[in-house]
Amino acid sequence: MEKRQDIALGLIFVGIGIAAAWMARGYSGASGTYPMVLGVILALFGGTVSIKAARSGRTEARRLIDAPGHFFTTALIATAYVALVVPLGFYTASVLLMLALPLALGFRRLGYALIVALVFMALIYLVFSVLLEKPLPREAILSILGAGA
Amino acid sequence: MEFFTTALGHVLTLGPLSAMTGSTLLGVFIGALPGLNPVMAIALLLPLTYSMDPLVALAMVAGIYNGSMYGGAIPAILLRIPGTPASIATTFDGFPMADKGEASKALKIACWSSAVGGIASAVALMTMGPLLARLTLFFGPAEYFWIAIFGMASVGVMVGSDPVKGIMAAVLGLLIGTMGIDNLSGQARFTFGQTWMLGGLDLIVVLVGLYALPPVLQLAEKADLRGLSAAQLKLADAPFKPGELRGLIPTWLRASGIGIGVGILPGAGGNIAAFLSYNAAKNASSDPESFGKGNPQGVAAAECGNNADNAASMIPALSLGIPGNVVAALVLSALTIHGLQPGPQLFHQNPVLVGGFMVEMLLTSVLIFALGGAVATRVFAQFQRLPGVLLVPSILILMCVGVYVINGRPVDLWVMLGAGIAGYLLEKVNVPLAPIILGMILGPMAEQSVRRALLISRGDATDLLTRPISAGLAIATLLVILWPVVKTLRRRRAARA
Repeated sequence: MEKRQDIALGLIFVGIGIAAAWMARGYSGASGTYPMVLGVILALFGGTVSIKAARSGRTEARRLIDAPGHFFTTALIATAYVALVVPLGFYTASVLLMLALPLALGFRRLGYALIVALVFMALIYLVFSVLLEKPLPREAILSILGAGA
Repeated sequence: MEFFTTALGHVLTLGPLSAMTGSTLLGVFIGALPGLNPVMAIALLLPLTYSMDPLVALAMVAGIYNGSMYGGAIPAILLRIPGTPASIATTFDGFPMADKGEASKALKIACWSSAVGGIASAVALMTMGPLLARLTLFFGPAEYFWIAIFGMASVGVMVGSDPVKGIMAAVLGLLIGTMGIDNLSGQARFTFGQTWMLGGLDLIVVLVGLYALPPVLQLAEKADLRGLSAAQLKLADAPFKPGELRGLIPTWLRASGIGIGVGILPGAGGNIAAFLSYNAAKNASSDPESFGKGNPQGVAAAECGNNADNAASMIPALSLGIPGNVVAALVLSALTIHGLQPGPQLFHQNPVLVGGFMVEMLLTSVLIFALGGAVATRVFAQFQRLPGVLLVPSILILMCVGVYVINGRPVDLWVMLGAGIAGYLLEKVNVPLAPIILGMILGPMAEQSVRRALLISRGDATDLLTRPISAGLAIATLLVILWPVVKTLRRRRAARA
C-alpha cells in the first residue's frame, strides 16, 4: 500500500515537474530559465521517490483517509459551503453550515448546535462587520426582502 | 541597547499591550483544545492583520505562540492528550501527577516552566539576533541566494521522515512562488490565462488552506460528539514541599539551554526540544526511576524546553530570513503582508519593528506567569466540554472569512479548499508542508538574488561560489543535503557488519 502510494506520489511530481519545465520553455529569457530548472529538479526528485519506493521491500499499510465516511461528508459540505457563500450570503451560509455539518457527522442535539451557532455568528459579526468593517458576501435574503418591500 | 529602548517605547502603548494580553489568553485557550494548534491559529489570524499596525499584528503572533505552547500542557496533564505536538513529553509525568491528585500542582509547574523557558529564549533572541544580523552587512546577491537555498534545504531535510520528500516539497514551493508576473521582466508565468493569477497565488490563502484545513478534516474524522465531562476536568490541589520549587531551577536552566539550541537549528521544533530536555532531566536525576510516574522535574523540563524553542527559532528567521520552524515561517509571512522583506535587511531597515517583536516575545512569556495561573487554567479547561463536531464548522467559517477579507475574491476560497485537501493528502504520504510554504516565501528572494548575481557577473555562474561566505554557504547546503545519504550508508554498513 505504502509502496504503491509512494510510486504514484513520485510520478505525480514527475508530471508536475515536466509540465512546468515544458511551459517555462515559452517564457522569455531568464524568466523562463529559473522555473524550467525548478521543473527539472522537481521531476528528478519525484523520480527518486518513485524509484526508491519501487526498490523498497516495504509494503505496510498506510491509510490515506482514516474515516472515509466522515472525511467525504465534511469535504462535500465544505465544498457546498464555499459554493453557496456568495449566492446565499456569508451569514446565511455559515449558519446553515454550523447546523448541517454537525448533524451530518452524527450530532443530534440540534438545540445545543443552534445556540453555539448563534453565539459564534454573533461573535463573527461583532469582529468582522462591526469592529473591522470588512465587506462580506451580501445576504440574499436581505435582497429578496428589500425587493419585496 | 538603544535599539531595544526605542522599541520598548513603541511596544508599551495601548495597541500592542492589549494585543499581547488578549492573544496570550487566546493562545492558552487554543493550546488547551486538542485539535487546534498554534500554527493553525496564527494562519487564521494573519489575514486579519492586513489593516493592523505591524507591531500589533506581531504582538498577536507572539501572544498566541507563547500562550498556546503552555496551553497544550492543560489537556496533556489532565487527560494525557497533548494539546499541541510539543506537549507530548508533558504527558509522561503530568498525567501521572494528575492521577495522584496533584493536577493543580502540575499545571502550576507547567505554567512557571513555560514562562521561564519563554523568557530565556526571548533573551537569547534579543542578544544573538542583532549580532547575527551584523554579519549580514557583508552579504551580496550571491550570499542571499545561498541563504535562501540553505534554509530550504535544511528545513526540507530535517522536517519529516524522508529528506527526499522534504526537498521535493521545497522545490514545489519554489515553483508555486514563480506563479504570476515576473517582477524583473514582466513575463506572466503559469497563469493559465486567468487574470486573477497574474499576482500569483496568495501566500496567506495557500497557508491557511495547507495548515488549517488538514487538522479540521482530522477533527471531523474523529467525530467527537460529547466533549469532556465536568468530572474529567476537576482539578485537585496539592501543596509544594519545602525546597521543591528551588529544586526545579537546575532543570529550568538545562531545559532553557537545550530549547534555545534546538530552536536555532532550522527544521527542529518544540517537540524535539521537549523530548531532549526531558531526557536530559532524567539522565541528570538521582532518581531516574521516578520519571514517568509523576516526577515534577519531568513536567518542568518538557514545558521549559518547548517554550525555550519559541523565540530562539526566530533568531535565524529574523536575522537571516531562514525560519527555524513553521511558526517562524508564519512570522515571516506576517512581515511580508506588511510589505517588509524578510531576511538580513530587516534589522537595518526596520529596527523598531524587529526590536519590538523581540520585546513582545519577552513580554508575552512574562504574561504567562500572570495569565496562565490555576484560575485561568480552570476556565480554559472548561472549553474542552465543547463537542469536537461543533468546532469543525466554526474553524471552517473562520478560515473562509479570513481568506475572503484578504482580496474579497470568491476564487481564493476555492484555492484555500484545494490547498487544504492537497495538504491533508500530502501529510498522509509523509510529504512535509513547511518546506512548501518556505519555498513560497524564500523563492522570490532566491530567484531575484541569483538573477542579480548573474547580471553583476555578466552571466558567469562561478561567481556564485567564489566569494568566501557564498562558498561556505554552498558547502553547508551540500553537507545538509548529503548528510541523510551518509547516514543511510552508515546504517547499511552497520547492518551488514
